[in-house]
Amino acid sequence: MQKLIVTSLLLIFTSATSLAQEGDTRAEIRELREKLERLEKKMAEDEAQKAKRAEVEKAAIAEQVKKDVISEVATKGQSFFGRIIEQTKVGAYGSMRYGTSNLDDLHNTFTFRRFVLTVDSPISERLKANMELEFERFTSLELDKNLTRTSGGGLTSEVAIEGTSKSEISMEQAWMQYDIADWLKFRGGAVLVPLGRFNINHDDNRWDLPRRSLVDRGVPVLPATAAWPELGAGFLGDISVGNTGKVSYQWYVMNGVTLNSEVEQIGQTRAGDTTKLAYEVKLQPSRGTFSDDVKTGKSIGTRWAYSPWLGDEIAASLYWGRYTPDFLPSKPVISFSFDGKKTWGPFEIEGEYVNTQWSGVRSVARGLAQRAITSSSEGEVGDVETEVEFELANLASRKQGYWLDFRYRFWPDFLNKTILGSQFSNPQLIATFRAEQVWFSGLLNQIAFTDGSLTEFKTQNRLVNRFTAGLTYRPVPLVALQLAYEYTRTNKGKSLSTVTNFLPAKEGEYFQNAFLMGLAFGF
Amino acid sequence: MNMLRKWFWLVCLLSSLGIPLLASAQEGIFLREEEAPKAVFPEGTSFDRKMIRSTEELKEKIRQRMGKAKTSVWEDSYVTFIAKKGDTILGYAVIVEEIGKHRPITFVVGVGNDRKIKDAALMVYREAYGGEVRDRRFLQQYKGKELKDPLLPYRDIQNISGATLSVEAIGRGSKKALVLVDLIYLEDAERK
Repeated sequence: MQKLIVTSLLLIFTSATSLAQEGDTRAEIRELREKLERLEKKMAEDEAQKAKRAEVEKAAIAEQVKKDVISEVATKGQSFFGRIIEQTKVGAYGSMRYGTSNLDDLHNTFTFRRFVLTVDSPISERLKANMELEFERFTSLELDKNLTRTSGGGLTSEVAIEGTSKSEISMEQAWMQYDIADWLKFRGGAVLVPLGRFNINHDDNRWDLPRRSLVDRGVPVLPATAAWPELGAGFLGDISVGNTGKVSYQWYVMNGVTLNSEVEQIGQTRAGDTTKLAYEVKLQPSRGTFSDDVKTGKSIGTRWAYSPWLGDEIAASLYWGRYTPDFLPSKPVISFSFDGKKTWGPFEIEGEYVNTQWSGVRSVARGLAQRAITSSSEGEVGDVETEVEFELANLASRKQGYWLDFRYRFWPDFLNKTILGSQFSNPQLIATFRAEQVWFSGLLNQIAFTDGSLTEFKTQNRLVNRFTAGLTYRPVPLVALQLAYEYTRTNKGKSLSTVTNFLPAKEGEYFQNAFLMGLAFGF
Repeated sequence: MNMLRKWFWLVCLLSSLGIPLLASAQEGIFLREEEAPKAVFPEGTSFDRKMIRSTEELKEKIRQRMGKAKTSVWEDSYVTFIAKKGDTILGYAVIVEEIGKHRPITFVVGVGNDRKIKDAALMVYREAYGGEVRDRRFLQQYKGKELKDPLLPYRDIQNISGATLSVEAIGRGSKKALVLVDLIYLEDAERK
């Protein structure tokens, strides 16, 4: 009985155990099946995602191809002129200044220095055109011309010109370029003369001081004031030297600088004296004509620059050509320049030296005397005195000078949280110190001639020094807000107005202190 | 004497005009798409082209990561390449565009697995000035630069006088390429 009970119990226990084991296996199988199902589902999802991604990519490619085709069709369908207009870009640069001065006739003034419209167009892959039209201190120019009947019989011809003081409209550049190779590009038209580094980089918004250099502009040592274009043709290009070096050149044949006449008409009433009507014909060097040249000889201008690495450059340039019109003795002007730039991190030194020799100034004066016969003629009819005067101006046997800029670029971090820095990605402050000197040897002071003979020929030697210290804020590269102090001085007791073309100094005013605020912009 | 002078000028002018006919020509487009990845990964043996469609989400991510540098062009899609040497991935090349002064500059930026620029090369330059940005001596400054670098003139990049806007454009485009490679390739690879 006992055995039976034990056997039965064993049987019950064994079957219960096996039943439990069977249950575990089933659960495991179920779990495995579920896992498999999940994996299958995930794989299916991944596949679907992959297919979707491929579809999106395919659609993107199709869309791009479609766009390319449409654009190609549109381009092909577009007229040549349509394409040119679309590719042509109009830009500009300009500058204005507020200045105070110790000179009696200058005091303080706003000056709109210039507004220059720029247009460039890639005519085709290798051909491009460029143009710069300058409006200097320009507000308006009005011309009125009438031919009417005079009451009571006769004809009346009237011409009235209305304009603003010292205004000028000038073509600064207008050329076409054919890019044959990097080292050989043909350029023809009104090109900037490659003498020194300022003339070819003259845009106001590229410089950090609110006044151009003396050598290039204010007391010009360049044969003509910058920006100085001439009509001609030539070549330019860049040649790589090693891994980091580069040689750049420009070489042009041009009409060139010539003595041109400037006629000043003066109407003057004088207390206790007759009314004066004067015509002053001033022959002085100016840019060559864009029309028929008045002289047989052409001029050459060339500049060769070597840059051993980015940021540094040294260059030499030369200009040579006849400057006298055909009715005067043939005399050349020779000008050479050395310029360069050196960068050490935020420090920069940039400068230019120019030396110009006007040959045969006395001989030219003699020639003018023979042609013009009399330098000064006057006559009086009733209460009106009329005077006609011929003179030679701005010639010196030798002019030489330099400018040297020392710059330091910086930006304190704390300014990033101010209005000066918060909105801009790379604002800058630039501290600049400029030293300039110009020497004139044999500067023509006065000439007189009667009956075709030179009776007076006076020259003088002069010196002009200028030091400028300035601080410029550039929120973006093309905009500059400038502050500067400048000190200009010439020989003691002499007037600054007789050597500079921008300072209305009285006799004896030989120095100037000036504070300037400038704004230059480009777009 | 005058006659001699006339002849001298005439010869000068004619020889000037004649030289171009003898000179070899150079294209205005400096690199075509198929040449672009090889220009920045010269050691690469194969380049898998992949087009990345630009979505609003992608733009937003790029915008955020570029910080103060604001892109001037949002491409519809980006042509990218996976540069390989055998089976090893050398890096990724992205073709980007940025406006210089008036016109877009197209260039390729090669980014390594270390998230640093391997090289950059100009493909098309359309501006009238500032073409010096395609010089090797300028572009080699970008080698080794990464997203945290300013990539700005007068900061960590030597400027080209008169081409500051183009220099800034190359910096912005390089940043865009760095962000894109990070988002599309490198972050994905890290997740895997």
